[in-house]
Amino acid sequence: MTKEEIQGAQEDQAQSKKAAKKLQKEAEKAAKKAEKQAKLAAESQVADGEDIAKDRYGTPAMIQSQEKIDRVLVHVKDLTEEKVGQVVWLRSRVHTNRAKGKQCFLVLRQQQFNVQGLVAVGDHVSKQMVKFAANINKESIVDVQGIVQKVDQKIESCSQQDVELHIERIYVISTAEPRLPLQLDDAVRPETGEEEGRATVNQDTRLDNRVIDLRTTTSQAIFRLQSGVCQLFRETLINKGFTEIQTPKIISAASEGGANVFTVSYFKTSAYLAQSPQLYKQMCICADFDKVFCIGPVFRAEDSNTHRHLTEFVGLDIEMAFNYHYHEVVTQITDTLVKIFKGLRDRYQTEIQTVGKQFPSEPFKFLEPTLILEYPEGVAMLKEAGVEMGDEEDLSTPNEKLLGRLVKEKYDTDFYVLDKYPLAVRPFYTMPDPHTAKYSNSYDMFMRGEEILSGAQRIHDPQLLTDRALHLGIDVEKIKSYIDSFRFGAPPHAGGGIGLERVTMLYLGLHNVRQTSMFPRDPKRLTP
Amino acid sequence: MALAELCALEKTLGLGRRNQFSDCQGDSGVPVLQTNNGPGLVGLTTIASHLAKLAQRAELLGTTPEESAVVQQWLEYRVTQVDRCTSQEDTRTILKDLNRYLEDKVYLAGNGFTLADILVYNGLHPIVTRLTHEDREKYLNVSRWFNHIQHYPGVRQHFDAIIFMKNRLYPTIH
Repeated sequence: MTKEEIQGAQEDQAQSKKAAKKLQKEAEKAAKKAEKQAKLAAESQVADGEDIAKDRYGTPAMIQSQEKIDRVLVHVKDLTEEKVGQVVWLRSRVHTNRAKGKQCFLVLRQQQFNVQGLVAVGDHVSKQMVKFAANINKESIVDVQGIVQKVDQKIESCSQQDVELHIERIYVISTAEPRLPLQLDDAVRPETGEEEGRATVNQDTRLDNRVIDLRTTTSQAIFRLQSGVCQLFRETLINKGFTEIQTPKIISAASEGGANVFTVSYFKTSAYLAQSPQLYKQMCICADFDKVFCIGPVFRAEDSNTHRHLTEFVGLDIEMAFNYHYHEVVTQITDTLVKIFKGLRDRYQTEIQTVGKQFPSEPFKFLEPTLILEYPEGVAMLKEAGVEMGDEEDLSTPNEKLLGRLVKEKYDTDFYVLDKYPLAVRPFYTMPDPHTAKYSNSYDMFMRGEEILSGAQRIHDPQLLTDRALHLGIDVEKIKSYIDSFRFGAPPHAGGGIGLERVTMLYLGLHNVRQTSMFPRDPKRLTP
Repeated sequence: MALAELCALEKTLGLGRRNQFSDCQGDSGVPVLQTNNGPGLVGLTTIASHLAKLAQRAELLGTTPEESAVVQQWLEYRVTQVDRCTSQEDTRTILKDLNRYLEDKVYLAGNGFTLADILVYNGLHPIVTRLTHEDREKYLNVSRWFNHIQHYPGVRQHFDAIIFMKNRLYPTIH
């Protein structure tokens, strides 16, 4: 043998020795483990025998409406100091649970409220029950009975800070799977918290698992506030004497240009999904409904993947006949929006603050009466800021935003109206300005520098309507039925349409419209 | 580019007699100045320093040894950092560093206007032109310095004046 070979053999030997040792160790470990497990099993068997709280916990049969139990379930938000000493039942989710020796702390969550629960070994509670509580999977739904107790130190992590619940019974009504696709705590962490190296959940993960994401306090607050927008919109307009209408969403011809419209097959022919209830609102005006509004889905087949475009969104539409000047309508609309802003501020303060915790933003500011700027004024402000643009050019998105900042700086308002758009950039049915032919009686409304409403006085004269359509090279045959609706006496009217998601987003100062759409639809997302 | 800049600099310095520049040094566009006495001068900052002396404006190169050293440092920064920044990333780094540096200064070399201010201004012009108002406000000290330099008598020459808002539009940035 050469020297090297000897050395190699020695090494082999050493290695096999090592391996043997390792094996032995592992075997020992396994034996120990088995022993331990056996012991534990034996222990628990022994313990099971003397479990004093056997009936106080467990997983009852699935609720199939077998019986009507006469039991009042208290809402978590109602657990306050007033209830101290009372025995209550409640149904909630297990937000977190962590065992520590003979006790187990649970955070019980119901919607955006949560309370601390405590299962501690005592007269009614056994060791096994504590163990059971500690092993309930997160997000499971439980029925809990307990005594409300005052705490010495405020519980900072819960919404119910003054009390905790000493649990006496706990039953699992619905078990969640042990592994969640995302952690709720990660999903509500402010984005600025990145320096701590804590996880945050990205938008797509959230949307893929929307059901869980919607459980977060932030989502709960956003959509409760959004419901408030609709409610305030309805409330205000009905008080103003408006009539709510329902319009068809399957239509035979595209209302605003054919490019961005979804085609659906309709028996032997094809139909379109409505881009706005425009035509039907106007027909209602011609049918003497005077003031109408409509809340419903609106479809846009624009292939734009931006933070503020969806392919299906909820439109809040207004159309109204006026006497002599379309500003009568503008005032009604701005007044409605201001009432919504005020209503949100007064009724949804908790929700606004909840969202603000995760997505901080300045409070929304508005003026009364609403600021109305004319388009040329806006262009002048932009030019002063060094933007090069033509007088009759449409506003680009960056310029829109910049103008919003300039207006905010000058007038201290996040909400304003830009009036008198150039005729060239508006649809054919827009009424031209009687004083300056290149402008029109149309307006956009902006929140935080982003457009939320686009509206105008519509042409109610069939002849002028035909002329304008011809001028813009539109096939008059295709819009014949539209023009015909104005032949039998049509009052002067104006209106506009608002996107519900955008209003919610911009009111709260959020950055993506998907955050304010419960199940967003965009060119790349069709599920969930 | 560099040639136009040197011609502009001549005017800034009030040099009536026009020098003959060429940029025959390879493809990199490095300018050359053929002087009357001796070999040709090569390189933007070298020629610029020479022009400053020709114009009898030596104070533009720094009045104290320390100031001169700082001026040289920024002239080098101009050609090695500013001129070679191509990506968004580079631009951001330069603006961030410069913004921090200018926090407590009126001019690059402290309290006196120098050649460094002129050349760095020239170099940054295309970058600052492209910035949005939001970014101009984000790099507030750069904007303040830049606005000051562009209004300094004779500096701007053929460059477009860039508009800076006097009021803060984006108060949340800070």
